[in-house]
Amino acid sequence: MTWEHLIYFAIVAVLMWGTGAWAAWKNKSTTAHVATILGLLVFFSYIVSMWISLERPPLRTMGETRLWYSFFLPLAGIVVYSRWKYKWILSFSTVLAVVFICINLFKPEIHSKTLMPALQSPWFAPHVIVYMFAYAVLGAATLMAIYALVRSTKSQRPAFYAQLDNLVHVGLAFLTIGMLFGALWAKEAWGHYWSWDPKETWAAITWLSYLIYIHYRQLPRQHERIALWTLIISFVLLQMCWWGINYLPSAQGTSVHTYSTSE
Amino acid sequence: MTHNHFTMKEGFLIGGGIIFAGLILQLCIGPVIWEAFAWPVNGIVLTGFLFVIAIIFLLRKRIYIFRFIGTYQAAIPTLVYAAILTIIMGLIRQDANGSWLGNMLTFWPFVLTYAFVAVILGVITLKRLCHFSSNGYVRNMAFLLNHLGLFLALITATLGNADLQRVKMVVSIDEPEQRAITADGAIKEMPFTIILKRFIMETYDNGAPKRFASEIRIDAKAGKSIEATVDVNKPYEVNGWKIYQYSYDTQMGPNSRISILELVSDPWLPFVYTGIYMMLAGAVCMFVLDGRRKEK
Repeated sequence: MTWEHLIYFAIVAVLMWGTGAWAAWKNKSTTAHVATILGLLVFFSYIVSMWISLERPPLRTMGETRLWYSFFLPLAGIVVYSRWKYKWILSFSTVLAVVFICINLFKPEIHSKTLMPALQSPWFAPHVIVYMFAYAVLGAATLMAIYALVRSTKSQRPAFYAQLDNLVHVGLAFLTIGMLFGALWAKEAWGHYWSWDPKETWAAITWLSYLIYIHYRQLPRQHERIALWTLIISFVLLQMCWWGINYLPSAQGTSVHTYSTSE
Repeated sequence: MTHNHFTMKEGFLIGGGIIFAGLILQLCIGPVIWEAFAWPVNGIVLTGFLFVIAIIFLLRKRIYIFRFIGTYQAAIPTLVYAAILTIIMGLIRQDANGSWLGNMLTFWPFVLTYAFVAVILGVITLKRLCHFSSNGYVRNMAFLLNHLGLFLALITATLGNADLQRVKMVVSIDEPEQRAITADGAIKEMPFTIILKRFIMETYDNGAPKRFASEIRIDAKAGKSIEATVDVNKPYEVNGWKIYQYSYDTQMGPNSRISILELVSDPWLPFVYTGIYMMLAGAVCMFVLDGRRKEK
């Protein structure tokens, strides 16, 4: 099994995931589940075949880790779909998975782009994918908050806030898991689980900021605008953690989280 | 809650008071000296800390401010202060030799604010343990896992840090080595010797390192001898020390005759990990619970 075979597996898997996404819009829950899971099985069989033919887990190059992204995104999508029945989630996860597959298909020269030894770990894919999923969900919550601020007339319907809180809870749950996976990995790779490295400091800030939102929402009396602005500020802080620190003077040359290839 | 007259405003005042007290401490006695907390001091501090939390909890019905500590109106301002101080930490370059805002981890207002976060976590954990709320067993479980997990991780990681030892050992081919070097350059005798049997290095076509690892033999004092391979991301544990592949002779590359290992001992790690795993379980509960809320 080689990279040349990827396209066949990818076409079948993407067709399945596309069918699942379409079925979700049409409220055909069973079809959505079956199609998405079949797509995942097809794609996973490619990963396993690569694993066997390489005689090691495919986790050593950027291309190999992108395989895992493409696998985990629809997996996370179907888990969320089966819990909340968001119609859009499977389309969203499929599009993101297709992006990663396309990079692997059309940019084969970066398949073998080197992954430094510290990144070659079973923690790599789950840590990154969980964070990416949290970022996506929290991004959706931010868009809802901006929408509510702009059209501030009748947005304070309880159903609107129920859905907003729902998204933030899911996002925060994934953010927490991503951060703690990072801590467990850091112990294996660098010898300590938390070193207040700039990336870690900003991860803590982002986490605290979302905690402020969910605790504020528990108050019996609250101001709508404060809650919505807290979400927007939290997402700005999240950007700082994600890529902003690469430009931050105080973080230059001090972070171990900078790699020759982008995360 | 007969006379619950405190609001977020009082919460912000209390948090501000804690920061003010921290500033006074910083001026009077200087930065926090974490090395002074090495065992048994951290054990005593932990006991005292738990005692204070228990007192606050037990007297909550008599002293209003103690009851207030367990409310959202106290928790939110404290989280805001913690976030602001951490943002300042993120914006100002941190240096172990720095002072005040330039070395936030030893800055009293920062330390006291996080300590107050821990006090609140402790008090609300006790509160929830004594009065399970009516909204379901799983929800109470999630609450306890999240809050008690964070409490445990925060407290034991902070206090245990003084007992953390990180040393480097340069091992050479076929030469037993027993001495390691601490961060301050002091020499430390280890309870075992390490011999480098073989240094393994693989590179990519462009010469960038793909893998580097050390085949070593560890001879413990008790006479037992262990062969192990230490890879990046795959430390080996012996006698409470985790042995990490750290570096090698980069001039020589694959022909390096030495390997640099990092040895880490962290006796408090099991407690920190218990907290981390509780928080992981709590996050999963949070995810599962939110589905239920919508179904209602």
